[in-house]
Amino acid sequence: MKHVSIPSGADLGALYRQVAGDYPKFFKMDVLSKLGFLLTEMLVADETDRFQPREDRAVLVFSREGCVANDRHYAASMADFPSPALFVYTLPNIVAGEIAIRNKYAGETSAYVLEKYDEEQLWALVREAFQDRCTQSAVVAWIDCPSDTVWQADAWLVSREEILK
Amino acid sequence: MTKVFCTGCGVVTPVGNTPEAVFLAVRAGRSALQLYPAQPEPYMASLLSREGFNGPSFFEHIAVEAARKAVAQAGLDPSGPRVGMVLSTIKGNVEQIDSEDVSLAAAAIRIAAKLGVTSKPVVVSNACISGLAALIQGMRMLRSGAYDHVIVVGAEVQSRFIVTGFQSLKALSLQACKPFDAARDGLNLGEAAAAMVLSTQNSLWELVDGAVRNDANHISGPSRTGEGSYNALKYLLPLVNREQLAFVNVHGTATRYNDEMEAIALDRAGLLDVPVNALKGIFGHTMGAAGILESIVSMQACDAGMVLPTQGFSELGVSRPVRVSAQEMPTNGTEFIKLLSGFGGVNGALLFRKGGAR
Amino acid sequence: MNELINELKLKVIEALNLEGMTPEDIDENAPLFGDQGLGLDSIDVLELIVLLEKNYGIRLATPQEGKEVFKSMAVMAEYVAANRKK
Repeated sequence: MKHVSIPSGADLGALYRQVAGDYPKFFKMDVLSKLGFLLTEMLVADETDRFQPREDRAVLVFSREGCVANDRHYAASMADFPSPALFVYTLPNIVAGEIAIRNKYAGETSAYVLEKYDEEQLWALVREAFQDRCTQSAVVAWIDCPSDTVWQADAWLVSREEILK
Repeated sequence: MTKVFCTGCGVVTPVGNTPEAVFLAVRAGRSALQLYPAQPEPYMASLLSREGFNGPSFFEHIAVEAARKAVAQAGLDPSGPRVGMVLSTIKGNVEQIDSEDVSLAAAAIRIAAKLGVTSKPVVVSNACISGLAALIQGMRMLRSGAYDHVIVVGAEVQSRFIVTGFQSLKALSLQACKPFDAARDGLNLGEAAAAMVLSTQNSLWELVDGAVRNDANHISGPSRTGEGSYNALKYLLPLVNREQLAFVNVHGTATRYNDEMEAIALDRAGLLDVPVNALKGIFGHTMGAAGILESIVSMQACDAGMVLPTQGFSELGVSRPVRVSAQEMPTNGTEFIKLLSGFGGVNGALLFRKGGAR
Repeated sequence: MNELINELKLKVIEALNLEGMTPEDIDENAPLFGDQGLGLDSIDVLELIVLLEKNYGIRLATPQEGKEVFKSMAVMAEYVAANRKK
């Protein structure tokens, strides 16, 4: 299965210009969504029929901290003028939604929070997600970003055959 | 495929602390929605009393309470290695973000420890469909063969964080919300905890199957074509016994766009002849608890042979002729569909069926 | 008025994270929403409502009101000039 990662602290704007460049909404995203967006670009860039709408691909995002970095930004804005643009990113699953919107994935999108990166637990959850009859492949991501500059960001593109073999 | 049953339910809500009490409150139209004066602006919500509580986390407290009730009703020893736990919440302990570790994972571990659960808990945080997504996750854990019972608990407490956020989105109504009504103008927030024990052991109510689908359209605006909601319904339709389908319990937040989107999805799924109801006019939008709480109340209603009324609804205000139940109606149906939608473009649907052993 | 239009353009670029854009890139008569012009969405409307309150003391009650005010930069500037409290 294909695996990509983004080193902690990397310049995400520069990486965006390198791997995408045609999606200015990127700059409105929180760090979690930016990482998920870029990881997926790296995973699926060379797929044929890339932007054809499809329901058979799931997006499964895992982390410990969810969207806490953005939560802190929103909490800071609460003091005078609460920011709606920050508030909409105060959900750990928005990253999965951003990936679905960009790539026209109409399948399952789910966000899970685990105590730590636990391979056994994470891949058991991925296997279970394939109980959905429709799901033939999935973007699986572990993206844990306690702040805007420190993170673990790994993603895999997996097929039903690879997971259930 | 392994059949999954509900063997126990527990709730903590402002309108009652047993499934029966909540059912009776909904039937009588007894709501806990009231106007709270400042946050800094006034807001209508259904909140729990903190009286007599002085622990570190009210959120964890109500989650544990609801789960304990479900575990007791199921007669379950939660400490076995084949008992799992799934927590559904959106913001957990976020009110303490300035002082504490508000990780949802840490909260789940404390809740599991209080319940005596020894397996690793998992948190499903999938916006407003979290409760349904967590039930689906519980079903999957049982069907994987690794568990015999899974405690699925959802909880949400309100805070300045959430209230000011929804205010900034101009999504809150200052009146009691009016799902599917022509005069609806937004949602009300609510606090609650609700839990179900799911099991491979035969019981009255079966969770047949469920699906989660994305609109792939916008992170906060519902799809104009009901795409994800329709696709989630479409997944269930081959499993539904149409003559047994008592009702669809919709999300029905009472925002202009959500309810219209659901009406379009129901139309596309060919469900316009099926009664529809929404419960948020009673306890508001309880976020991480909603999917579980509204499913529990719907099971109660089906057991009583009844489609519950939609509090706040009087005149249809969506573009499709949805059969919204303004008053309670009798039903002989033994199945219902629970529907939810949320930010991030997520939608969920779950089919419940009565017919197992009591 | 031109000065105010320019000031608003800078504030909008910052508030909406319009990466790489300069005031010169924005035609003050072009629509802000829809497929032409800046292509802003419903969250951007809400963020612009915050911008007006924060910088000019103007409170808009509903996003619908916002849609009128945010037709173009020129319309927005006229509205601000006529209604500003600070």
